[in-house]
Amino acid sequence: MGIASKVLGLVFAAIGFIVLWWGMGTSGPLTYVWTFLGMFVMASGFALLTSGRQQKEVKPPPPTVTEIRCNSCDFKEIRDFQKGDYVLKTVEASCPKCQASMTIEGVYIVREEPDDKDKI
Amino acid sequence: MQLGETSELGVLVNIGFFAFIIIFSLYGAKFQMWQWLKQIEAGLHELKRMFIESRQTAIDTFKEFGRSEEEVAKDLDRWMDYFTIMPVDLDPAGILKRLDHLLDERRDRFQEFVAEIAPESAESMNQNLENTLEVTQVLGLIFRVVRHFYLLGKKTGSQIMIMQIQMQMPDLLRLAKAYFDALSAFSQGKPIGDGIGPLVVTKFAREYGGTPENYNHEISREVGYYKVEAEGRTVYALRATGPGGTVGKPGFAVKKLVDEFGDKVTRIITIDAALKLEGEELGRVSEGTGAAIGDLGPEKHAMEQTATERGIGIEAIVIKEDEAAAVGVMDKRILDAVPEVIERIKTSILKRTKPGDSVILAGIGNTIGIGL
Repeated sequence: MGIASKVLGLVFAAIGFIVLWWGMGTSGPLTYVWTFLGMFVMASGFALLTSGRQQKEVKPPPPTVTEIRCNSCDFKEIRDFQKGDYVLKTVEASCPKCQASMTIEGVYIVREEPDDKDKI
Repeated sequence: MQLGETSELGVLVNIGFFAFIIIFSLYGAKFQMWQWLKQIEAGLHELKRMFIESRQTAIDTFKEFGRSEEEVAKDLDRWMDYFTIMPVDLDPAGILKRLDHLLDERRDRFQEFVAEIAPESAESMNQNLENTLEVTQVLGLIFRVVRHFYLLGKKTGSQIMIMQIQMQMPDLLRLAKAYFDALSAFSQGKPIGDGIGPLVVTKFAREYGGTPENYNHEISREVGYYKVEAEGRTVYALRATGPGGTVGKPGFAVKKLVDEFGDKVTRIITIDAALKLEGEELGRVSEGTGAAIGDLGPEKHAMEQTATERGIGIEAIVIKEDEAAAVGVMDKRILDAVPEVIERIKTSILKRTKPGDSVILAGIGNTIGIGL
């Protein structure tokens, strides 16, 4: 549902409200008819406004990364996960800083922190 | 104009008003049932989508190991219905032994099936494939059970049946989604949140000289241990053997170690992932008394029985996770808990054991993507 339907829904809801208000305020033989008609038009308007509500966008999962650390100095490298990586695996490449061997210290994802609106 | 008026329009309005009340009092429940059925139907479509996509992922993963897509699909569909009958509990004597036997048998059948369907796969990959198969099977099972109650409720018009499944649907969808999202971890061999126990144990052992070379394999099925000296104590750091995806039989490994090294063992420390309560932080570390292991019974019983018979103190250190984090790719916050857990292990060893004692440190969990 696009913006047109939302605008139409808003117009319907407004017209329905006016008809309902007017119907309730009169005392003629058609009071009930106007009241129900107003309610019906207003309900249709709200239905149009709320229908086809966009589903929560499904976010793609965060990328899995591999953290490699040098076994003797503080060198650390983080790269995308590659098939065959596992934690505590000794990688073939040596440390670019000190030429020592390096180990995969972690394979993980970093998820976004959830909203703290419910934090109690 | 008021209700009860006798003009022509008034009569019509009265009839309409009472008809409205009568229809809703007689058929209100039917309307609600219809609404519930529509909600279940929407959930069922989602469950079906997850099952079909996971089946395809499983097929794509298996076909890389020597069989054609058609052959894999045919065998996989046959396997989707595989079941395990729980042992009779009317006579509970010896039920854990019987359950353990059945679980072993089930595991053998899974291994046999994976070896058949992926003949060119290595052993550690076989374990990952087993996990992939199990996840697909779980998603299929959830879909089929929900569909069963939906159709049965519709057929019998049973309001209670439909109501129950509608109310459980959000939870079922959450569980199914957790497994669905985890499938890529299992099929690609990435470590999962549940593997934190073995990871802590290995990192602890490495601090005190443990290496893949001095790891003792197969003390029980798919479980081994490092023997390291830490703070003047001998620590048997045991875990399932990775980096393939397995939990092994750590309970029986603890029993075997105690039987072997008997009187010197004065403490058993178990490390595991535990379900967090909503509102708790992911990766929070907690400790307590008892065996932290979430098996069906035999493993936990073996540990408790051994500790009780020998009067050995048994404690647990757990890392809090939700279902999605436990079966999904390991979250950074879980990994960051490792140093704190190791500190707590050291504190426990120093406080509650004496120099010269032996300690069993058991890392419980799935070792997928976690090397020795």
